[in-house]
Amino acid sequence: MTVVEVKHGTHERFIEAASRKKILAHKCSKCGHLMLETVMFCEKCSAGKFEDVELEGAGTVVTYTIQAVAPEGFEDAGSYAWVVFKVNNTSVRASGFLPGVKTPAELPVGAAVRVKGFDAKHGLLLEKA
Amino acid sequence: MTNKVCVLGAGSTKYGKLNESIIEIALGAAKDAIESAGITPKEIQAGYISNVFGVADKQVHMAPVIMSNLGISHVPGLTIESACGSGSVMFREAYANVAAGFYDCVLALGVEKVTHTGTAHSTTLFSYCSDFFYEGGNGASFPGLFASMARAYMTTHKATEEDLAHVAVKNHDNGILNPKAHVRKKITVDDVLKSPVVASPLKLLDCCPFSDGASAVILCSEDFARKSGKPYMEIIGSGRGASPAAVQAREDITTIPSTVAAARQAYKMAGITSKDIDFAEVHDCFTIAEIIDIEDLGFFPKGKAAHAVRDGATRLTGEIPVNPSGGLKSKGHPIGATGVGQVVEVFDQFTGKAGERTVKNAEIALTHNFGATGASAAVHIFKKVDRR
Repeated sequence: MTVVEVKHGTHERFIEAASRKKILAHKCSKCGHLMLETVMFCEKCSAGKFEDVELEGAGTVVTYTIQAVAPEGFEDAGSYAWVVFKVNNTSVRASGFLPGVKTPAELPVGAAVRVKGFDAKHGLLLEKA
Repeated sequence: MTNKVCVLGAGSTKYGKLNESIIEIALGAAKDAIESAGITPKEIQAGYISNVFGVADKQVHMAPVIMSNLGISHVPGLTIESACGSGSVMFREAYANVAAGFYDCVLALGVEKVTHTGTAHSTTLFSYCSDFFYEGGNGASFPGLFASMARAYMTTHKATEEDLAHVAVKNHDNGILNPKAHVRKKITVDDVLKSPVVASPLKLLDCCPFSDGASAVILCSEDFARKSGKPYMEIIGSGRGASPAAVQAREDITTIPSTVAAARQAYKMAGITSKDIDFAEVHDCFTIAEIIDIEDLGFFPKGKAAHAVRDGATRLTGEIPVNPSGGLKSKGHPIGATGVGQVVEVFDQFTGKAGERTVKNAEIALTHNFGATGASAAVHIFKKVDRR
């Protein structure tokens, strides 16, 4: 683990970790709270120093929608779900793009999903585990 | 200790697809509010404007343009953006400045024009109000974000798509009675359930329309209002709240923390509870939003609102009428104007201008408006002033 001082940036580190099927999180050096890498000050104690923690990109579906009408930039994505998932063994939640889902029956709340990568066009790419 | 603040005049354009420029739309509402208050523009000491997508009609820095066209180019103004909550957040700032004694009389005006950009591009513009890296950038539209909240609510509280549909049916029934509403069309539960899916479980008739329009009110000190000889109402409660910007960051997706916080502040300031509210204008951008709102505002216990709506409790003659104007769902949602439009509805209700949708014997009303999925919210409480 590396102690880093957070600088304003472009989410490059989060994206790089996602491309390796990880969720990059920050653990507060002061209070130990775990949060997504893009948060610059601790949500609990406002400290600004963190340890990088690479979480296994796997979790369970908290909620989701199937976008029948796709927004601009996703017209070519086919039928897909936008999914909020809880990362396994943590309280961290993230959200991503899960292609190939056509009906709610295919994706019950609580289903297992995992990070497949980061798509330049469609964001955090998920797949069913 | 702050000074009492009153709403002395109010005006709105029709909401819908409007041909005029965004400035012309704004000026229409401003003129109506000024005339309603019985004042001249020269009595206005500051202008507060709310708008989100002025750039889509080639106009930002809107306040000086509006002030100039009202013939008061020397009057300072500012423009405030807080997504779909811009109107109420701006109203709060106008209120605070009069309460603090900086001004005796100000114009608070919200305006939006987006329909000319088309549904697809409007949807994209609105997605910029999300926490885009996590939400819009991963394929969630605004209907999609609220659909995810709907699924969480339905899973937790065993509510159904039919329950949500009752919100739409009720708000359309009210909107039919509002000549300025965008969508004045009676619909049934079956119509909602059979309308095309936009983002499951939400369907087209669960969603408010994209609207153009403007609403404006005149805020003033109590002394100014008394001397006017015109009917007015007093702002007795004002609250602001915030939530994590992204839906994923909320521990409970079936509630909106900003609403809860803003309501708590407003009730405390007014010295009342939710039981004292005679009617409410709430943020029903999607049917699920109204269900969550009326629980967060304290009108119904958690998980009980869907059944209450089904039972008619929120209809014009129910125990707590909600959205007598037709709400965002039927009256329309010109996002910079919506929060101000809610105040206009309360003013019209209290001053005998609400026609067939009048809530009988109402004396205390609440407005609730939020930005995005509730990342920012404001709640205001108004008391009718009897001038007899």
